[in-house]
Amino acid sequence: MSADHVATLDAFVKQNPLKQGFASDFRRTMLPAYDAMVTDEKSPIYRYAKRAYFVIDSKGVVRYVKVMDNPLDLLQPEDLLKALKDSGAS
Amino acid sequence: MRLRKIVLAGALLTLVAAGPAAALEVGQKAPDFTLAGVGGKQVKLADMLGKGPIVIYTFIQAFTGT
Repeated sequence: MSADHVATLDAFVKQNPLKQGFASDFRRTMLPAYDAMVTDEKSPIYRYAKRAYFVIDSKGVVRYVKVMDNPLDLLQPEDLLKALKDSGAS
Repeated sequence: MRLRKIVLAGALLTLVAAGPAAALEVGQKAPDFTLAGVGGKQVKLADMLGKGPIVIYTFIQAFTGT
């Protein structure tokens, strides 16, 4: 998920076929609710998604949260899989 | 002029009171959302529940390497 327009994500997926689902929060409704939006007080249009990971169990309870301070930092796939397993989410 | 000052002060107070969004914590109910998905599909959290764990990943911007 990102704050890109859905047309941008459509084009991105067309060029980069991926199994994951992609969704657009162009209106910035989900990102603030998840504390996953970065803003700049000097620019009202600077409202981007942070790089963040959330695991939610089948009942809708948050089981894991990782919000990166540095947007260039990534969780390795094995770390995310471990987090998913350790969270106990089912 | 006085009314203008009062309105400005009120707006400032509202901004200060609102503060930054509270961080989402483990154990909380995940806020529901309905977003536009690729291919014209709607992505709604409530529709995905009950089928196993969901991993949500947010990224900065497509086509930028972030």
